[in-house]
Amino acid sequence: MSEDPALRAAALEALLVEEGVLSTDAIDAVVEHYERELGPQHGARVVARAWADPAYRERLLADGTAAVQELGIGGVELNTLVAVENTPGVHNLVVCTLCSCYPWPLLGLPPKWYKEPAYRARAVAEPRAVLREFGVELAADTRIRVWDSTSEVRYLVVPRRPDGSDGATEDELAALVTRDSMVGTGVL
Amino acid sequence: MGGMHGFGAVVRVGSERAYDEAWEGRVFAISALIGSQRLGSGSGRALREQMPPDEYLRASYYERWLWSSERRLERKGTIGVGEVDRRLARLRDGEPVPRRTDPEFAVRAVAAERELEPLAPAGPTRFAIGTRVRVRRMRPDSHTRCPRYARGVTGVVEAVRGNDAFPDIGPYQGPSEPVYAVAFESADLFGPSEERPWTVMIDLFESYLEDT
Repeated sequence: MSEDPALRAAALEALLVEEGVLSTDAIDAVVEHYERELGPQHGARVVARAWADPAYRERLLADGTAAVQELGIGGVELNTLVAVENTPGVHNLVVCTLCSCYPWPLLGLPPKWYKEPAYRARAVAEPRAVLREFGVELAADTRIRVWDSTSEVRYLVVPRRPDGSDGATEDELAALVTRDSMVGTGVL
Repeated sequence: MGGMHGFGAVVRVGSERAYDEAWEGRVFAISALIGSQRLGSGSGRALREQMPPDEYLRASYYERWLWSSERRLERKGTIGVGEVDRRLARLRDGEPVPRRTDPEFAVRAVAAERELEPLAPAGPTRFAIGTRVRVRRMRPDSHTRCPRYARGVTGVVEAVRGNDAFPDIGPYQGPSEPVYAVAFESADLFGPSEERPWTVMIDLFESYLEDT
């Protein structure tokens, strides 16, 4: 489209600020909110709680939206949450083949690969090949379940708790959880 | 894009970040504000699909968001067609981007990002859990949330997610109807594969489905 998108974006901002429709600090604040306040640390808190507290795990799997609200997590792009749990026999993988739906309040804004055509096209059609590119090799008899986020429902993968993490505190557990493990492109 | 080929590797150098350049974050924020402050008309997601296909594939992700932001603002009349071009020319001539602060508005802007709109509870459903259903063959000429790779394929209803506005009308302004989580076998969607069979779960509106 534009030969210089940065300049075009600046022109749009200039126009909206000049006309009094938006303020510079409102734009700054929203950027800041998504860059700093949101991020995978919130998803990690949810996963750690589910590992540490069996009753919370039950609630999370039964009603993800309510369970993350208990921890004060919610907002745009997290209207309805379904949490799906990895087990020794099942590995879950989340994609949005139609656009780039992603649970922002839990994981922050998605990485570029999540939004680009290669992942959107291939995750449903050759999930093991895609996982291999992330360095994930699953056991041959693991059933992969790919979740295509085609509606307003958002998905969170609850990864398997790493061996040797018995006795860890919830904060220590949360530190083990990676963003990719909550999308399903990583394992712990 | 499910099942299309030729796009190459998923993981590339630099693909871990949400974006690289400050303007991309600002376009994202402006787009969020257009939504929360009702400055635009139409769905950004649906509008982006109206970009000419060659431009869509050539444009970067946030270039598409910039494009759809302009269209939403024009449709509502918040900006006029051609105004961004004229403002761009003034920036090229060396005029700075004006700054204006409004701390109260900034607080409201972030608060709006914390709001939720859950799906409505499920009403009466045509298909029971465990039923085999077929995705209708269709060729929509506008926005849809029914992926092409699933059309004509049979799957099994695994859950009812709730009720939501049918997205193909409006878009996102159609009558409220049930959304089902439907399980598909990989071979039914894509034929034989070297990979062990897997499951693809797709959330589908009732109008997309028919009896087998």
